[in-house]
Amino acid sequence: MIIPVRCFTCGKLIADKWEEFAIRVKAGENPAEVLDSLGLKRYCCRRMILSHVDIIDEILRFHEEAEKRKEARRRYYQE
Amino acid sequence: MLELKTLESDETNLRLLVTGVDTPYINAIRRIVLTEVPCMAIDEVVIIENSSVLHDEIIAHRLGLIPIKTDLDGYNLPEECSCRSEFGCNLCRVTFTLDREAKDEPVTVYSGDLVSENPNIAPVSDKIPIVKLGRGQKLKLEAYARLGRGKNHAKWQPVSLSAHKHLPKIRIDAEKCNACGKCVETCPRKVLAKSKGKVEVVDLYACTMCRDCVDACPEEPSAIEVNWEKNAFIFILESTGALPPERIITEAVKILDRQLKEFTDQIAEVQKA
Repeated sequence: MIIPVRCFTCGKLIADKWEEFAIRVKAGENPAEVLDSLGLKRYCCRRMILSHVDIIDEILRFHEEAEKRKEARRRYYQE
Repeated sequence: MLELKTLESDETNLRLLVTGVDTPYINAIRRIVLTEVPCMAIDEVVIIENSSVLHDEIIAHRLGLIPIKTDLDGYNLPEECSCRSEFGCNLCRVTFTLDREAKDEPVTVYSGDLVSENPNIAPVSDKIPIVKLGRGQKLKLEAYARLGRGKNHAKWQPVSLSAHKHLPKIRIDAEKCNACGKCVETCPRKVLAKSKGKVEVVDLYACTMCRDCVDACPEEPSAIEVNWEKNAFIFILESTGALPPERIITEAVKILDRQLKEFTDQIAEVQKA
């Protein structure tokens, strides 16, 4: 859904590193090197970022569609 | 006797070489760092409005996990505070407020949007995403941060790593070793290096004592021997940013001191009775 705030295993703060990681990997950098430069040394913290799928944007689209439908229904009953 | 040497030190990491102490001693400090050293975390959240896609509980949980820069001298633990109130007072509680709304564009709510009543007490990083808001969604809440201890909840642990390991001892038998370099190749931590027809230890502190080099050695018995030094440890500490690592250690020692004093006082009581 959204990046967890801390590493599940050791408790290191990882949420503030996610956006930079996503941008840099999308730009074509090697994920392992990006993780190194972000200071994630242990494999518990590295897997948090590496295996994360950010789907909150998709969920937000459903919210918008639902709002549109509600609006349409309201207009229909008004007429 | 006890000797300390700093191997690495920056704002969040500390690596010490501790010699002249035994395992129970260093383990006591390690465990007190994890469970007893207080730090600040959001403990209670009042949600005034939340139309986001995440439930109130999830947002409260995410807020709780945000590490907060702690002022140990200015604040009391709630159970030790003179106010004796369940709700807390200015000496044992910090109030944060958050009010964000997405109008025409989706916005991400960051930890930097939390407004603290005390500018010195703030999240460690301003870039922690709390939630994403779609068009027309709103998040308004009030959060209360308190001091707490790691034994009650991991969010009150001031460290993400507190560990010790033995100081390795690597002995290379110069007579048996023919400098074939097999051990240098297999070492995963690059502890060994070949120079002038001899194998040398170049990075002793990186050694994890896996003994791959011993197995790789073609000599029988092996020309290389990996062991550990008695009563010498490498102590590794990684702070979440809530407190500087040096402060965490001194605080841990103070707490251990207090606990031992309590213990001797209790013993005296028992003897009197």
